[in-house]
Amino acid sequence: MTTLETPNSESFEPKIVGFLCNWCSYAGADKAGASQTPYPPNVSVVRVMCSGRVDPQFVLDAFHQGADGVMILACHPGDCHYKEGNYRAVQRHRILLRLLEQFGIEKERCNFDYVSAGEGEKFVRVITEMVSTIKGLGPLKLTASAA
Amino acid sequence: MKIGLYFCTCGTNITATVDSDKAIAELTAQFPASYAAKVEFICSAEGKSFFKEHLLANRPDRVVVAACSPREYENTFMQILAEAGINPYYLQVVNIREQVAWVTPDRAQATRKATTALRSAMARVGKQLPLEKKELDANGDVLVVGAGPAGLQAALFLAEAGRKVVLVEKSPAIGGMPVLYEELFPTMECGPCLLEPFEEQVLHGDYAHNIELLLLSELQSVTGFYGNFNATIRQAPRFVGHTCIGCGMCVEACPATASNEFNCGMNEKKAIAMPFLGALPNLPYIDPKACLRGRGDSCQLCLDACPMPGTVELDDKERIIERKVGAIVLAIGSKLYDCGKVKGLGYGEVPGVYTSLEFERLASANGPTAGEIQTPAGSAPGTVAIVHCVGSLDAKHQPHCSGICCEYAFKFNRVLEHKLPGTKVYHLYKELVVAGKSDFSMLEHAQKNPHATFIRYRDLAEIKVAAAPGGQKITYRREDGKNDSFTAEMVVLCPAMVGGEDAVKLGEMMDLSRGGAGFFDELNGRLHSSQSKVKGIFVAGTCQAPMDIGQATSRAMASAGYVLSGLAAGKKLVIEPISATVDEERCSGCRICSGVCPYKAIGFIPETETSRVNALLCHGCGTCVAACPAGAIQGNHFTNDQILAEIEAILQ
Repeated sequence: MTTLETPNSESFEPKIVGFLCNWCSYAGADKAGASQTPYPPNVSVVRVMCSGRVDPQFVLDAFHQGADGVMILACHPGDCHYKEGNYRAVQRHRILLRLLEQFGIEKERCNFDYVSAGEGEKFVRVITEMVSTIKGLGPLKLTASAA
Repeated sequence: MKIGLYFCTCGTNITATVDSDKAIAELTAQFPASYAAKVEFICSAEGKSFFKEHLLANRPDRVVVAACSPREYENTFMQILAEAGINPYYLQVVNIREQVAWVTPDRAQATRKATTALRSAMARVGKQLPLEKKELDANGDVLVVGAGPAGLQAALFLAEAGRKVVLVEKSPAIGGMPVLYEELFPTMECGPCLLEPFEEQVLHGDYAHNIELLLLSELQSVTGFYGNFNATIRQAPRFVGHTCIGCGMCVEACPATASNEFNCGMNEKKAIAMPFLGALPNLPYIDPKACLRGRGDSCQLCLDACPMPGTVELDDKERIIERKVGAIVLAIGSKLYDCGKVKGLGYGEVPGVYTSLEFERLASANGPTAGEIQTPAGSAPGTVAIVHCVGSLDAKHQPHCSGICCEYAFKFNRVLEHKLPGTKVYHLYKELVVAGKSDFSMLEHAQKNPHATFIRYRDLAEIKVAAAPGGQKITYRREDGKNDSFTAEMVVLCPAMVGGEDAVKLGEMMDLSRGGAGFFDELNGRLHSSQSKVKGIFVAGTCQAPMDIGQATSRAMASAGYVLSGLAAGKKLVIEPISATVDEERCSGCRICSGVCPYKAIGFIPETETSRVNALLCHGCGTCVAACPAGAIQGNHFTNDQILAEIEAILQ
């Protein structure tokens, strides 16, 4: 494994939900698979047709259900299969981060990035970095009022 | 609920790291009504046949296939479900090869990740609903707007394939702009010689019966959608019927005159006139703004002069024409950037300064000077300055390169060399662009003209054209920063091509987006360069981008090709089930959804004040679903229910 683990984080295996758009990021994940590059197993993929489908409610629900992190991976600007869904996604993500802060959820726990259908290596990198970041942050502990 | 879990081992590709037995044991314990079956290669002929037989024998309520990426075989598996009498949307394919086995070397970790992915798919699949592709009858007829080379080509191509075409043209003649040009680059063939036979095919050719040509006509409204558009067309009266023999006696008799728009206002025409010499169809028309009758006079000299009774119809009226079509091809052309916006070049102020279009007409045998290239004083110019890149490549005007201006500028060079040997020609340019297999020869030829001088200027704003004794004095700053000047009797400006006023009007009418220079946006400039962003509306020619005749007619044929394959005879339009639907009970009518829809697929029903998705136009991206503040939109096959079940099972 290529994870950059800190000594304290070894026992903690974060649960991360990754929303991947069907056309670019999901295909990027498949490219990583085809090149058989290992990466940490902590991200469970939810395939959506477009990152624009990612309802902020899904992210909140994931945290509510116990996710330590959420990733939204989209097509690069200008590449969206549906023309502009990724712009909607990035707008919603920005607003969502402000909301998450109100709940006491660190913004690093909700990552937005662009991965194209060709970027298997980038996919591995963003997943690895995210897992490392969340390991550094530790498990998400929501207070009763926020949860 | 009985879920059939089909676990493909992919040889040992999956099972090398994923413990299939452990995963299956855990999952069947959690979903007790379910069963699991292992297959070695479910994509192989044997694997597929096993899959189908097993489905038929076990009749599961839902199916999960653990295998490679759904991008590979999801469609195949869906077909097998359908063959086994199971709704194909009752399937989830779980990617445990590319996204688990191949990237997770640790067996315990891989097994855990695969089990999580399968558990979430089994939770999700239970919520999946049976969906069906719907079919819709489509009209194969086509509306083509604009009868320039692109519009004519599209119309002919479609007519030859047996389609009925309604060809709408705003002007009284067909052929568009190039039919007004004496010569065409890069071959220097004459415009009318190339285009008139082409026009004849549209008017009288073997397939002309399939083309309904509506001249002096404009599109007034379009409703409906791909496959079923309703177009309303307003046709202005021509006052001359098709029994006309084109003798011109009416024109001679007419006492009223007006500025001639076909010659850019450089001469006058009669109120009843042929659009230009050689115009097709060979019919005069009356300009009601110029005709004395429009001012209350009872003049009917044209009618009296006409040898064909009943041909001049002075009481001709405007007509409103309604047509039903399945697709629309827009080939409405472009316009030249307003040279008056480039201060200092003297256009409209200094005599002897012309646009390229005006020069085309001055050089044309059917133009205002019968092809004599003359200064306003009526003499042949000894020196002509051709200014390239007027308003192009310029952040203050238009940033784009219009691509064809250099070529016609070199054509002007050759026309001058041919018509007025010895004329000095100055090419003032910012950039020279001559890509293409035969286009460079135009530059080469211009450079070989011993009387031609090429000057690269720094900034268009530094060129000043002022009236001076013997012509116009042109001052400019050279590339090296030094000022220089010369005198020319004629200045020809080569302006940027930009989208015209009709593009604004039609764009608003049909919800078509336009870019900065006013050209229609394409769905995708590489793969779908003749499709607009609205399904069923195609674009061709210079209304989408600057291009030459060859490119324009190719785009026209591409548009026609889309129509012929998309609306093939006997084929129904398929409505994909992965689309959005609005629950009208919950919709508050805020219309946030229609604002975010990239395909203009969401309309508003005024009676109920709710939004409605046109499933034919919807591509199923789900952006509106996520945007709806009332949760009133369902994204079929990707419903909130289904996705939330997936998330919950992941985090169990």
